[in-house]
Amino acid sequence: MRVCVCRSYRAELLYDHQLFMMNMNTALPKEMHTFWEKETCNQSSPSKKPKPPKPQNAITIAVSSRALFNMDLEQDIYEQQGMEDYLNYQIQHEMEPFAPGPAFPFIKFCSSSEEVMMDVLLVCVVQAVEAVNTRLRELYPDSEELFDVVLMTSNHAHVGLRLINSINHHQLFLERFCMTGGNSPIGYLKAYHTNLYLSADSLKVREAIEAGIAAATVFSPGKITEVPETQLRVAFDGDAVLFSDESERIYKAHGLDKFFEHEKAHENKPLDHGPLKGFLEALGKLQQKFYAKGQRLDCPIRTYLVTARSAASSGTRALKTLRSWGLETDEALFLAGAPKGPMLEKIRPHIFFDDQMFHVEGAAELGTVAAHVPYGIAQKIPPKKDGKKDTSARQLE
Amino acid sequence: MENKKNHAGPLMIALQHDDLFDLNSVSTNTELPKGRAFTFIKAVQTVNERLVEQNKNESLLFEVILITKECSEDVKMKIVESVKHYDLEIGKFYFCKKEELKNTLQSNKVKLFLSTDRDDVHEALHSGISAALLYDQADHRVLKQLKVIFSGDVLGFSEDSLESYLEFELSEKQIETVKAAKICVKEFAVLIGQMRRRFGPENSPICICVLTTWGSRNVCASALKTLREWGLDVDEAFCLAGAPAHPILSIVNPHILWDGGFHNMRDLATLS
Repeated sequence: MRVCVCRSYRAELLYDHQLFMMNMNTALPKEMHTFWEKETCNQSSPSKKPKPPKPQNAITIAVSSRALFNMDLEQDIYEQQGMEDYLNYQIQHEMEPFAPGPAFPFIKFCSSSEEVMMDVLLVCVVQAVEAVNTRLRELYPDSEELFDVVLMTSNHAHVGLRLINSINHHQLFLERFCMTGGNSPIGYLKAYHTNLYLSADSLKVREAIEAGIAAATVFSPGKITEVPETQLRVAFDGDAVLFSDESERIYKAHGLDKFFEHEKAHENKPLDHGPLKGFLEALGKLQQKFYAKGQRLDCPIRTYLVTARSAASSGTRALKTLRSWGLETDEALFLAGAPKGPMLEKIRPHIFFDDQMFHVEGAAELGTVAAHVPYGIAQKIPPKKDGKKDTSARQLE
Repeated sequence: MENKKNHAGPLMIALQHDDLFDLNSVSTNTELPKGRAFTFIKAVQTVNERLVEQNKNESLLFEVILITKECSEDVKMKIVESVKHYDLEIGKFYFCKKEELKNTLQSNKVKLFLSTDRDDVHEALHSGISAALLYDQADHRVLKQLKVIFSGDVLGFSEDSLESYLEFELSEKQIETVKAAKICVKEFAVLIGQMRRRFGPENSPICICVLTTWGSRNVCASALKTLREWGLDVDEAFCLAGAPAHPILSIVNPHILWDGGFHNMRDLATLS
């Protein structure tokens, strides 16, 4: 299914999600056909949208408005001219939908055509997530164990109309949102049982991690990579992402040899868990639902461990740790220190999580949507220079 | 800030004495113990202070009148004493029978009647009084901000969005009540909107929120537009698409929760 997402700022609003489905051409993937047929047969009113699941049952992913949409221009206005001008600008441009930002692909199906602009990449993620939901509903029509995407922004509701117009314009299945009017989103993230928080603001992400919520700062990739449409692919670094940073500390303090020694000696002792272990667990739970229906080979969720550990030595402890937690990733790539970018380029995940900016940047350069997890010993070292603006300025997102 | 013209008169709000004071607990003091409306009245006073700070001659201030239904002379005295004791700015006292409530409110141009009792609120709405729930604040921490929540489901209600309310099977009468409530609250909304505009988006003593529990994002958008038409700028907006409201409410911690009686018409489970 190819969706054309144009950057033209037409005042087109209020697409109904189902209306969009009806206008699709016949090149629908098989799963979508089946879903559509089921919907028209079973519902008395064909325009009835599937209801979002209750937060406690769902895998909730919260995205900030600046992760979802490109609001760089507006952020500049806020920083340079202040709140009043920022709000006035937003209201005056209310009918102009925002262009997609970094988190878009994690939310929407990939659109690929000559009209696609450089920053349309995170679009794929949200809709890949919705595609997984479609398959889950097919197999388990009464279950609420689905993905749920929530927009969590500290913007004022003044900007609300423009955000809603943009969501409509891009036909995102995003029914839940919180506009906190400048307040911290942390309390709300907890209220929504958030399993993962994606934001462009590293300060908020840090706050979330400290509050025990899996979170990462998303960065735009340097170029477009097509990502799969029918399979959600999520790649994780090992240390300080899935695992705690205990081994990384040893490496930083005592060097590589000591690290290998230590890992070998403690091979059978599971590492402590890291901030994103819970999210991998949640993905695993959904995967099990497909396996239970004999769809292991055709599973629309695929996970990857992409670690600098080496298969020969330190990698064993990583695998054993995962096993001790009753978890697994579909693929484990042990790079023994080689750069991650080229490998990720081959895998084409919708999103990649790493605690080190060096790897995040490397991945982004080669077209992967990379997200930084600000956790552990690697954060004590000043990050390398990157193209992003100084995030110490307060962000409204 | 725009629009500094003095509006003709204050914004009248009515409270019941058994919300302001706790009549059930026994106390040896002459004054009555604080009730559930206490943080509300303190927040209202903060708003007034800030308004006067900006403009000494400000006439658009909150004015609270206290309604007391049947009670003994003794209790009446205690009420008056307690108000003085706590230094509360109560404009007027009305000791009236239940049937007289509507007339009392109307003759005093009360724009909003508040009660902690949902049934009370519902009854009031039914008889055409603009009413809202005085939300029981989790603690008696006095905030420097008055927080008001409007229901996006009711404000965003329109004939076109009727089908989103289908699952509630609202009767004709209920739909009429919802529409009437929306019209009813307009006066209050317009006035508090003018008050809100006396302050900027940041550091305001009034915080306006819209909470859409069941409606779609377009219903929420419709609510935001309606309020904007009435001159009321919204600070925070939440669209829950069926998620339970309680966790959000406990973070927002509002003083006033206006939902036009909508929650009374359907399963209350999600609001509990």
